[in-house]
Amino acid sequence: MTTAQQRQQQQRDWFQQLLTRSDVSPDSNMAWLYRLRDDAKRAIKTLPTLGSKQEAWRYNRVNDIFDINFDSSSDFDNDIIEPDINDYLLPAFDSYRLVFINGHCATKLSDIKQLPEGVTLGSVKAGLRSMPEKMIHWFDRNHQHNEYMFTALNNALFNDGVYLHLDRSVHLDRPVEVIYLNNNHSQSAQYAGSMIQTRTIISLDVGASATLVERFINGSGTGNNETYFYNNVSEISLADDAELNHCRVQDESRQAYHLSSLYVTQKKHSAYHSSNLAFGGAWARTEYKVDFRAEAAICDLNGLYAVDNQQLIDFHLDVQHRAESCRSREHFKGILYGKGRAVFDGRILVDKQAQFSDAALINDNLLLVADAEIDTKPQLEIYADNVKCSHGTTVGKLDQQQMFYLRSRGIAENEARKILCQGYAAEIIDDIALPELQKHVAEKLMHALNKNDPGAGGHDGY
Amino acid sequence: MLTIKDLIVKVENKQILNGLNLNVRPGEVHAIMGPNGSGKSTLSHVLAGREGYEVIEGRVLLNGENLLELTPEQRAHKGVFLAMQYPVELPGVNNMIFMRESINAIRRARNEDALDAIEFLQQVREKAKLLQLDEKLLKRNVNVGFSGGEKKRNEILQMAMLEPQLAILDETDSGLDIDALRIIAQGVNSLRDPERAIILVTHYQRLLEYIQPDFVHVLVNGRIVRSGDKALALELEQKGYNWIIEEDAA
Ligand SMILES: Nc1ncnc2c1ncn2[C@@H]1O[C@H](COP(=O)(O)OP(=O)(O)OP(=O)(O)O)[C@@H](O)[C@H]1O
Ligand SMILES: [Mg+2]
Repeated sequence: MTTAQQRQQQQRDWFQQLLTRSDVSPDSNMAWLYRLRDDAKRAIKTLPTLGSKQEAWRYNRVNDIFDINFDSSSDFDNDIIEPDINDYLLPAFDSYRLVFINGHCATKLSDIKQLPEGVTLGSVKAGLRSMPEKMIHWFDRNHQHNEYMFTALNNALFNDGVYLHLDRSVHLDRPVEVIYLNNNHSQSAQYAGSMIQTRTIISLDVGASATLVERFINGSGTGNNETYFYNNVSEISLADDAELNHCRVQDESRQAYHLSSLYVTQKKHSAYHSSNLAFGGAWARTEYKVDFRAEAAICDLNGLYAVDNQQLIDFHLDVQHRAESCRSREHFKGILYGKGRAVFDGRILVDKQAQFSDAALINDNLLLVADAEIDTKPQLEIYADNVKCSHGTTVGKLDQQQMFYLRSRGIAENEARKILCQGYAAEIIDDIALPELQKHVAEKLMHALNKNDPGAGGHDGY
Repeated sequence: MLTIKDLIVKVENKQILNGLNLNVRPGEVHAIMGPNGSGKSTLSHVLAGREGYEVIEGRVLLNGENLLELTPEQRAHKGVFLAMQYPVELPGVNNMIFMRESINAIRRARNEDALDAIEFLQQVREKAKLLQLDEKLLKRNVNVGFSGGEKKRNEILQMAMLEPQLAILDETDSGLDIDALRIIAQGVNSLRDPERAIILVTHYQRLLEYIQPDFVHVLVNGRIVRSGDKALALELEQKGYNWIIEEDAA
């Protein structure tokens, strides 16, 4: 028996081990960064340990993570094996591309030539070296988010990542694509997998606009059983009238742990639009904190998750209306096609002064197997009186009338099921800003559903 | 072609079909009329293989083969087509893609080559035009937001594309305006063929003016209580069903 106390100690040891093992430089020549890391380390030691007693982790089995030893060193750097990037590119997709292998920028695989004037894009590590002043300026220095354990961990140990900055009124002509190839690169048998951390820093100046695609991929090229923990923190700040289209495709190894924490701050009339597609991971969690800091900003968060046997996919959204006349939309759809679990936690806060707020949240879930599990929890906290807020969640099975209709037209049962799932997902997929990505995601979904085709000897569906 | 013998069917423990007999030969058009709730749609669904119907007794043979043990898709592969009384909406499923999946699934099951995209498109366009179905409906999601009449036309378009051996039309004429009725009737008539049989479920004699049936049957309480030619439909139109129900009871 493990007592609660032992569990807590195990967790503290887990974090301490990562801090000790890491070879990230202390950045003592950069006072601000040094302090950030130092504060973070202190926070990790003093924050309450994580567990199912905390609302944010209630359905999440977070303790499973602390049973696994992850290697936070990056001593693989010297003999990096560069994969054939063509294996990972989308057909005919024209982008400014950055590739990260296990959290380190692979310059040779990247292609960010001919960036238009007013655009700065590159690796955080290189940026901190070549233009520390500017880089530090783009970090959100007032909000370190050290109150979140894994964000503190990222603050303490992030080594590299992406920054994208657009000057005033610059419109990026092509999407920026970041490909993260992750696998277990630990050199030591002591560890079950690697700890990989990256930082994403996006800042768009007044009236600028861009499209960002991030793809998180199992990069081992060999099967789907790489164990690693990928921990990303993204800071996205949009100035007045700025607009970001953000598409994130999470397709990690089925033995991997993925945590993305996104902090979005929006100024007047800015617009943030994101599509979050989740397919992979043994445990994959995305946290959004959206902060409207001035009036009339717009935020659309969309998502699709497909959950197979033994997967846990988790979305935590926290949209805070703190200024007048902002609009937020959240629409997440899940397909549970195996005995796995999905968690959706969507909080909308409307502050007293945030009159004329317009917020709507929808979470739909389709269960294709009987023994999948879904915990969906919308939370509206409204303190202003003149607002428009709504939420709705559904959990359902495939419609038998629709199934019969398709089958009566000669379409086999498993095909009919796939067509209906595709139709169900279309609402989210059609909303992705780029047609190449739409196609990619539709294929990913089909691939997932094919794998568990009962006709192909999978488990029982209905 | 189709033989239904002493068919007894239960739905949710309630007996709906009570020993139904029907014989349909190739080339024939049979009209089935009858009061609401008499079991017409139940019969249609049982023929197409919808789940939830318990066959207690009886046989259904299509070209000598036991239809009841086939899945709905297998029945479609054998040429059974049901135009539904209430066509189902399929959100997110494109009408054109749906029809192509359907036709090619059936062709593959018959070891025929799939239609290529161009051939398919030509056929759909041509047939949609014949049925005066707005091409815009082809690009929309199946039946989603279609008007009642548009849904029915869409069913007939599918029928025209699939060219079934046995077509069952469950109240395809309900909710159609006069022009649409004529157009749909034309569509059905163009499919009349010595090799093909059609079962028309209808409440209205008017459809039968456009599509001349070889036989008219009256279904009451889950049984065919009277059969005749198209004169019977006229008689029903004038006198209603009560006289038949009374004669049957006597
Ligand atoms: N799923 C079901 N559960 C319970 N009763 C049902 C079900 N389906 C059909 N029934 C009943 O079976 C009877 C026959 O229904 P059916 O739809 O076959 O009638 P119908 O002849 O097509 O009527 P209409 O002319 O109104 O279309 C009705 O009393 C109906 O309520
Ligand atoms: Mg009916």
